[in-house]
Amino acid sequence: MTQLMIEIVAVWLAAILIGLPLFAAMGLAAFAFVLLGGLSGSIVPQKMAQAMNSFPLVAAPLFVLMGNILGAAQLTDRIVRFATSLVGALRGGYAHASILSSMIFAGMVGSAVADAAGTGAVEVRAMKKAGYRPETAAAISAAAATIGPIIPPSLPMVIYGVSADVSIGRLFLAGVVPGVLMGVSLMIMVAIIAPRQGLPRHKFGGLCAIWVAFKDSIWALLAPVILLGGMFSGAFTPTEAAAVADLYALFLGFVVYRTLKVKDLPAILINTAETTGIVMVLVMVAGALGWCMSISRIPQTLAPAMVAAIHEPLVFLLVSNVILLVIGCFMEALAALLILIPILVPAAISFGIDPVQFGLIMIFNLILGTIHPPIGVVLFVMSRIAEVTFEQISRAILPWLVPLLLVLAAITVWPPLTLWLPGVVMGGK
Amino acid sequence: MLDSLVAGFDRAAAFLACALVVALLGCVTLGVITRAVGEPLIWTDELSRFLMVWIAVFGWILACRKRIHVRIRYFQDLLPARAHNGVEFCMQLALTLFGILVTWYSVGLVGKNHDLEATSLPISMSWMYVPMVLAGLVSALQGAREVGESLRRHRQLRATAATARGADAK
Repeated sequence: MTQLMIEIVAVWLAAILIGLPLFAAMGLAAFAFVLLGGLSGSIVPQKMAQAMNSFPLVAAPLFVLMGNILGAAQLTDRIVRFATSLVGALRGGYAHASILSSMIFAGMVGSAVADAAGTGAVEVRAMKKAGYRPETAAAISAAAATIGPIIPPSLPMVIYGVSADVSIGRLFLAGVVPGVLMGVSLMIMVAIIAPRQGLPRHKFGGLCAIWVAFKDSIWALLAPVILLGGMFSGAFTPTEAAAVADLYALFLGFVVYRTLKVKDLPAILINTAETTGIVMVLVMVAGALGWCMSISRIPQTLAPAMVAAIHEPLVFLLVSNVILLVIGCFMEALAALLILIPILVPAAISFGIDPVQFGLIMIFNLILGTIHPPIGVVLFVMSRIAEVTFEQISRAILPWLVPLLLVLAAITVWPPLTLWLPGVVMGGK
Repeated sequence: MLDSLVAGFDRAAAFLACALVVALLGCVTLGVITRAVGEPLIWTDELSRFLMVWIAVFGWILACRKRIHVRIRYFQDLLPARAHNGVEFCMQLALTLFGILVTWYSVGLVGKNHDLEATSLPISMSWMYVPMVLAGLVSALQGAREVGESLRRHRQLRATAATARGADAK
């Protein structure tokens, strides 16, 4: 059966590369395996539905809903104003503010695309108005958007947690330090580049201006506090916290800021269902294909083979980084995550690597693919927002990959960067 | 007639998807509230999981109708027009096949699970597989429709090529 699965995987990869929708390619591979292996075809839809039959996974559509509500309620403008009042007076102030806004917004949404679409338009508009080159503005916002799925909540972390059977709470906590490091490293990059490119300063409005901006955005800034505080205080599970945060976002939009109208709701709900469908159908077919892989004993064969060939955990992590970075450039992040979890996670555990740290490394690598050509979805989003060509933003993003790659290297070689905070808050395993 | 039927189906699917998202939010919130007041309801978790399956599948249907499912077009877009259309034809045929397989085997699953009752809800487990039948059917029909469009494009491309050859001959 291992031979059959390898042949099917080869055809399936070819089908993906020539343009078959990923879910259909993965689903057909699962059907081919069970039918050619003499098993019942009903295993595939059964495993697909069972993949969704998980309470932790319910958090995913609720996080998507929260991002959509916050976006429709135009809370991003207030957050960007607050960030600008804090760091705008530095050289390259709008670039610093863009990164800080993305870090704050990352505490409310769980995906890079949502972060880019949410804060990107406001940030790019402000930077272009201040005289930044459009491609530079777009590249800074795109790089900052990758913080979205690293600082909790995070859609990829929910999916990794469910698929690899790892605590979602631990994964969320593990993302905090790397997420902050990403923001700090991007800000250092701005500090280096700003004098060379002559990026302007924003006039410092004084403590009074900071206070006014803070008062204006305080309710929005409380959203991640409620979400994460509720979760880590033990009051809610991640799924329940997502529901509470949704209600809070609705309260902000309808009652506090009054920027949301009842007529906005259908679009918010449909968008939530569509995004959920696009992501979850991949989780469904990955559930079926993952079962086929475990029956064909591919992970059980590959993991010892990797351990025998590589020996050193650090070398395994470096090899995994290279594989994930290359795959992330050509494949959608969540799909790649689902495909690679059953292969790489057992191998990582065999090397004694904590699955929480490995999850962060996997997600980080694959998220970098979203700001890297040729597939980079965040680059596509930002190129549309900034009205620059994909080629222009693809060139402009290159320097901004350097600080992010340095953070990736740091979390790869030094586990405490990811494992210290979950250990402090949630104790041992 | 067919177009108005399709439009009606799209509206109904969108409405149902909205209702499912609201129901999921309500159900999880109800679980939080009842637990907070010390009277937890035992069925909220299971109902949430049923709703999750339905939302995922209705989202799949909506994304299928809008053709927004994730696919890698980079290499296909490098191909010349006729080869691009040929590949598209094969891809949509594969999507149709996948839809047919999902529908066929999901119908069997619904039948097999008809007598099996959920743990905390007074409903049959077959309700978990019912939306899969619909999603498979929509995927198959959507794929078949795209196959038809590919064939039409193929004929147009041939006609354009023949016209160009004729112009060159003159």
